[in-house]
Amino acid sequence: DEVRVRQVATHVDPQEEAEFDKELRALMQESLDSRKLELRARPALNMTIPINMLEGSAKDHSGRYTEGESGDETTDIAPEGNKEVQVKVLVKRGHKQQMKHMYIPRDCSLVQSTKQKEAAELEE
Amino acid sequence: EETGDDEGFEYGKGDFSVEHACKYCGVTNPACVVRCNVPSCRKWFCNSRGNTSGSHIVNHLVRAKHKEVCLHKDSPLGETILECYNCGCRNVFLLGFISAKTESVVVLLCREPCLSVNALKDMNWDLSQWCPLIDDRCFLQWLVKVPSEQEQLRARQISAQQINKVEELWKTNPDATLEDLEKPGVDDEPQPVAVKYEDAYQYQNVFAPLIKLEADYDKMMKESQSKDSLSIRWDIGLNKKRIAYFVFPKEDNELRLVPGDELRLRYSGDAAHPAWQSVGHVIKLTAQEEVALELRASQGVPVDVNHGFSVDFVWKSTSFDRMQGAMKTFAVDETSVSGYIYHHLLGHEVEMQLVRNTLPRRFGAPGLPELNASQVFAVKSVLQKPISLIQGPPGTGKTVTSAAIVYHMAKQGQGQVLVCAPSNVAVDQLAEKISATGLKVVRLCAKSREAVSSPVEHLTLHYQVRHLDTSEKSELHKLQQLKDEQGELSSSDEKKYKALKRATEREISQSADVICCTCVGAGDPRLANFRFRQVLIDESTQATEPECLIPLVLGVKQVVLVGDHCQLGPVIMCKKAARAGLAQSLFERLVLLGVKPIRLQVQYRMHPALSEFPSNSFYEGTLQNGVTINERQSSGIDFPWPVPNRPMFFYVQMGQEEISASGTSFLNRTEAANVEKIVTTFLKSGVVPAQIGVITPYEGQRAYIVNYMSRNGSLRQQLYKEIEVASVDSFQGREKDYIILSCVRSNEHQGIGFLNDPRRLNVALTRARYGIVILGNPKVLSKQPLWNSLLTHYKENECLVEGPLNNLKQSMVQFQKPKKIYN
Ligand SMILES: [Zn+2]
Ligand SMILES: [Zn+2]
Ligand SMILES: [Zn+2]
Repeated sequence: DEVRVRQVATHVDPQEEAEFDKELRALMQESLDSRKLELRARPALNMTIPINMLEGSAKDHSGRYTEGESGDETTDIAPEGNKEVQVKVLVKRGHKQQMKHMYIPRDCSLVQSTKQKEAAELEE
Repeated sequence: EETGDDEGFEYGKGDFSVEHACKYCGVTNPACVVRCNVPSCRKWFCNSRGNTSGSHIVNHLVRAKHKEVCLHKDSPLGETILECYNCGCRNVFLLGFISAKTESVVVLLCREPCLSVNALKDMNWDLSQWCPLIDDRCFLQWLVKVPSEQEQLRARQISAQQINKVEELWKTNPDATLEDLEKPGVDDEPQPVAVKYEDAYQYQNVFAPLIKLEADYDKMMKESQSKDSLSIRWDIGLNKKRIAYFVFPKEDNELRLVPGDELRLRYSGDAAHPAWQSVGHVIKLTAQEEVALELRASQGVPVDVNHGFSVDFVWKSTSFDRMQGAMKTFAVDETSVSGYIYHHLLGHEVEMQLVRNTLPRRFGAPGLPELNASQVFAVKSVLQKPISLIQGPPGTGKTVTSAAIVYHMAKQGQGQVLVCAPSNVAVDQLAEKISATGLKVVRLCAKSREAVSSPVEHLTLHYQVRHLDTSEKSELHKLQQLKDEQGELSSSDEKKYKALKRATEREISQSADVICCTCVGAGDPRLANFRFRQVLIDESTQATEPECLIPLVLGVKQVVLVGDHCQLGPVIMCKKAARAGLAQSLFERLVLLGVKPIRLQVQYRMHPALSEFPSNSFYEGTLQNGVTINERQSSGIDFPWPVPNRPMFFYVQMGQEEISASGTSFLNRTEAANVEKIVTTFLKSGVVPAQIGVITPYEGQRAYIVNYMSRNGSLRQQLYKEIEVASVDSFQGREKDYIILSCVRSNEHQGIGFLNDPRRLNVALTRARYGIVILGNPKVLSKQPLWNSLLTHYKENECLVEGPLNNLKQSMVQFQKPKKIYN
């Protein structure tokens, strides 16, 4: 059977790209502007991390992927060896907080600083 | 159902049998797709770029202007709507992740305002590393995975052009697929309108699809206008109904809200409040651009909450249904219009008929100003003909002439006269003038507009029903009172109330000499059993043909269409329908069929210097001045007109235009700054805000000018707030003493957009009574032939100027050669 393979080296039209970028930036800007206008009052803060959700999930200073008995989630091994690190994602379902697990790249700026700080703490 | 092995799969086709397949390419991996969370959309898209610069989901969100998504239930995070952990904002263009300082915990947080809340810094969160959800035109790849090479090979290859096309298609048909793009029909143009039609069935066959197109587009536009995170100010109306005030942002390409529109207000609920929603009608739009929505139900309204509301448009097909209904009646009911009118409207050869009526001795009417010669001529000819057209250029007394015609028609004793116009404002004006002649007028309003305030409230049917003061009506009054107090009646009382009300309405309507309503209002069930032999339609050049037909099919034998085909026509939103000719009014087609409009020739609005160019360019120089220079001399007003006695100038602007923040409009900062200077100079010289109108074709510029004036104007803010800044279209039919026109477009490479339409320019130039200032870039504008002649006119009159306002100098700027006009 003949297998058709898509064209290699997909070419993105620079004009299309520029036009798309413009639209995207406009949408970002509009989103920002609308919030600045609408929410003059500062929102109340509701950002505490529920302690019970952290209990049992021992800090992972070593950077290994063994998760403590966090309860609802089973232990996961990062699919791509050491390149990824597991984080807990805190979300709200209505007004209930929930903890989920997710892998993110080890070099992601989001976890970099946490890791650095933790490393620094360890050294002390 | 998951897709099985590679067995039997075809490369480059995608798998669209699964519900959560990317609608562009057919990728089905739950970790790679998200669902657009906009209720009318709910389509799935993947996070691969394929052949485009952004990933499929980002492409969709940008093209459709949708902003919320939900993850798949089988994705690592499970079914989750992405929202700010703190405030619940779901706009993905604002969201990003932050992590805790010490724990491996992350949350989504919005950039504005939550990320900038100072108190957060002191908490356990690291705000310095906010990581946006959308990065490099793609969702974070560790949140929504990019399909594997293998998966991408299976997927359908879709180009940016195809994406744009299918997104366009979804606006009118959300279920369309990519295959539909290739199907014949989708890109086919509908059958265009003709000048003549074989019969009413052929007429219906042409217009019905166009109305359908426009209705579909209107529905799509309105239903996509949902807005979130609105702040509400609560109030209670005189009728004890709950009113919600809020700001409803608008854009150039969107329909504007008008009183009578139905909206649904929603609150998703919180710890102290259950989820809530209610439908209401827009009763007014305030000068501060607030919408006042009167809610239908006052129970359970979360009045102690002010933020976080959403609003959707409730689309009504009523007006389109009535147009379709009128066309059907026209086709099947032989008595709907007289034989003469039937054949004439379809363009058949018919022998000229005269209406046998004794003409009055005087053509004026009590309570109205004396008529001039062309007005008398118009009234006289109209009364003798079964079909006539009156063309009323700006300021020529269209309304007075119409009222005089209606007066004489009513006196001929042929039954009630029906008077219509497409807009409520025009109907109100006409109703007022006709009532001034002493005729008994009933103004019929749509039920949804009964709470909308009207200058002729005492003439409205609902007011007259409520205030009819006879003892027999006491039963109705009693029930009405009960209903007002309790909000509802028992079902038997409700039945009785309705029957009584209907009978009273009929009685009042039947005793009137004249019924006034909008064209669409003529299809109201309350008029179903009425017959009108004589119909006058004002502003008829702003109505579509099927709209004009609604008042005609109630038995018309004599019809008068008033309007001006040199001013703006009906607004058609669907380009396809507009291209096919839906924007051509019945008035214009009758002109093409050889009916000669009677033109009113004396204008009473503009300073003679201001009427010269419009008269020559749009009315073959026939417009005469009914006002003298002295009557339009603004005494005591010290304004730097370059030529005394010529209160006009073209102020040369070389500032660059920009795309507005919304990305859908234009603005020009230099022009806006100069508009403010001109306004301030007017105000300082003693002109009051109500005398000034600022016209600009772009919503972006309008918003910018309003904002700029109140921030930078050197006088009291309130003064600037009272100045009306609006589009050309919203000034049609009205006048101001001073007009400032900001043209905005200064881009060498693009057209001049809106102002390319000569009819729009005509309207813009003919609103001012005492003076006009035009701001624009002559280099760009001069390319268009009509603008070129306008600029030449100003230059020849030494009114083309530049420099600071207090030291205007004649400009030597070179014009470009006008391009030839094609069409
Ligand atoms: Zn969508
Ligand atoms: Zn895709
Ligand atoms: Zn937030």
